[in-house]
Amino acid sequence: MNNSDMLLGNVEFAQSPEPALLLDAAGTIRLVTAGLAQLVRQPAGELLGRALADLATPYKALTAPMAVAQAATGTPTEYEAWLEVPGEALLVSFSLLALPRAVAQPCLLYAVARVLTPTTPAQELLEQERHLSIIFNTMTDVAFVLAAEEEGRRFRFVFVNQAFEKTTGLPATQVIGRLVTDVIPEPALTQVQQYYQRALRSRQPVMWQEVSEYPNGRKIGEVHITPLFIEGPVRSCQLVGIVHDLTRQKETEARLQLSNERFQYAIKATTDAIYDWNIAADTLYWGEGFEQLFGHRLETNPTPFSKWADYVEPAEHHRVVEGLRHTAFRTANEFWQQEYHFRRADGSWAVVFDRGYFLRDAQGQPIRMIGAMQDISDRKEAEEQQRRLTDRLIKQNADLQQFTYIISHNLRAPLANALGYADLLSRIDRNSAVFEESLRHLSTSIQLLDAVLTDVNSILSIRDQQDSGRTEPVTVSQVCRQALVGLQQQLEECGGELRCEIPEGLRILGNRAYFHSIFHNLVSNAIKYRSDARSLLIEIQTTSTSDQHTEITIRDNGSGFDQHQGDVFQLYRRFHSDKPGRGIGLFLVKAHVESMHGQIAVQSVVGVGTQFTLRF
Amino acid sequence: MQLKTYLIDDDSLSIYLTEQLLRAEEFSTVIHTFQSASQALQRLVQEKEPPPQVVFLDLNMPVMNGWQFLDALAPYEDKLLGRCHIYILTSSLALSDLEKSKEYDLVSGLIHKPIDTEEIRAIQSQLNTQEPSAGPG
Repeated sequence: MNNSDMLLGNVEFAQSPEPALLLDAAGTIRLVTAGLAQLVRQPAGELLGRALADLATPYKALTAPMAVAQAATGTPTEYEAWLEVPGEALLVSFSLLALPRAVAQPCLLYAVARVLTPTTPAQELLEQERHLSIIFNTMTDVAFVLAAEEEGRRFRFVFVNQAFEKTTGLPATQVIGRLVTDVIPEPALTQVQQYYQRALRSRQPVMWQEVSEYPNGRKIGEVHITPLFIEGPVRSCQLVGIVHDLTRQKETEARLQLSNERFQYAIKATTDAIYDWNIAADTLYWGEGFEQLFGHRLETNPTPFSKWADYVEPAEHHRVVEGLRHTAFRTANEFWQQEYHFRRADGSWAVVFDRGYFLRDAQGQPIRMIGAMQDISDRKEAEEQQRRLTDRLIKQNADLQQFTYIISHNLRAPLANALGYADLLSRIDRNSAVFEESLRHLSTSIQLLDAVLTDVNSILSIRDQQDSGRTEPVTVSQVCRQALVGLQQQLEECGGELRCEIPEGLRILGNRAYFHSIFHNLVSNAIKYRSDARSLLIEIQTTSTSDQHTEITIRDNGSGFDQHQGDVFQLYRRFHSDKPGRGIGLFLVKAHVESMHGQIAVQSVVGVGTQFTLRF
Repeated sequence: MQLKTYLIDDDSLSIYLTEQLLRAEEFSTVIHTFQSASQALQRLVQEKEPPPQVVFLDLNMPVMNGWQFLDALAPYEDKLLGRCHIYILTSSLALSDLEKSKEYDLVSGLIHKPIDTEEIRAIQSQLNTQEPSAGPG
């Protein structure tokens, strides 16, 4: 509530028997006293909002608007006019006086009405004093008058208004007649005396703000001191002081400042990069987070829009930057959010979640966007790891299911035969050739059953080993030579040639026995499935890949197989019915490679050859 | 009446067993055995001789499995329906195989290995009741 509002709500004024009114700068009646309403014989309410000019027609050349305008400049003005009251017209003089006011507050004028009758100058003076007293005692600002004594070395209170008593808690009787030094305590005293003296010396009003501890609390006031020089036989000087209470305003400012500080600390506390996009200027004002999060130095703040846009991943630029502009200018959306890659100062990429709120004008045009960039790289990485883990588990689970299915099927086949032969044997002649043959087949079936169970055991033992961590650097060329020893004779018998080009020094972290099994299986397969059309050539080579891995290739010019027929690494998968085999060799090779955290791939063309690629 | 039977299975032990069981029941006069489905397919579609009345087909075989054999027969289905009865003979106990076998009109049934006396006799009686309806073809 400002000063004028408080005046307009002043009940004391409204109830005063003195005929007076309150005008605004346009000469409109804002408040009247009960005394005035009685004088014009109309209810006070009906006078509010009317112009002074309507109520009172000028008696002299000075019109109501002129008088109001003059009074508003600070010059006390007398406006004499005819006041229309039912049945008669009264000649009335209005004393207009502008109220002291703070900057930017509307001007208010007091007008005290006095019915003109033949009077003496002394009476007039008394009247004026009485009016001033009304004004001073009804205003909410503190007012006081000081008499300067001893050439401005001492100041004595000669008048204080009611607001003074109310604000300071000091009764007028304890103040009037006393020296300033006896009323105002130090350290304020020294300060105010300096201001008083300055007003005297400069003969100009002086204004300052002061904080005072009064019996009823701390007050912040804006003090105006106006020196009055009274010329006459005895030159005297008085200081008129008005103190406008700023306590409430200052408290509001303090609260605002506190809330601003809280906001600043909140920005500090968050690790997000908070920004404010001024859309007309196309500039971004950044919070501290931007430099901390991405390492970019802000030479200026705000920065051009491009400071952000240029670091967005080029492949995502259209979606993100154009998408933002589209949302801003082509939609009425309040929010925009996007996930994208943002380049850090060190060249690495941060995954960012960015969300902003648009401030729009009445037409929906964007004015600003306030937003925050959140670095979610760690979270994304964790999610990615989780996803990879899940994928691996799903695959492992599917593998296990397939494994169980295959095993059960491969147990069932010899078992079914054994059951059948047992049935048959009970029904045929013990001395027949069929009986003997069937007995032999029964035995074979049971051996096959045993072989499958042995396979299961060896496969499970590889899985057990997988995470045991018992690895050593294996000299690959050496293991390969050892694995080939048992195959040398077969190779010579078929007239084949093997070229092994593994560097002597090559070592791979893994399990010796597994490498042995891998080379043995792959080379014996190459011999077994050689082509009759040409002499067998097996080549074993190694290469180092650009990403720090080693690749071992085992290539033959054998009969090859049709890769569309299925997964060659699957357990008990056979591609050749003309050659004996159980379909477990390549399954074991793959299990061995994977248990050493390697990968295996195969390429084969029927009639041309097969190449296995092992990657560690 | 002469009954011709094909036995298709990559497992020689299983072929021998089934053949002996069929003979013990005097199921068929002529039994042809094939260790590869593609060989059996070739012979079946050559049409130099009438098709076998009964085929016992294993499912799990390399190169061409039982399903692939059935798919390859699709173009000849009209000629074979009613004349050639295919029985799947498998060691697998998977229910999915039974479901899948119902998609093929040429498949008359699915038997789990080993085939026993009751199953052989059931097929015989099935063939006998169908004989008149098969007509002169």
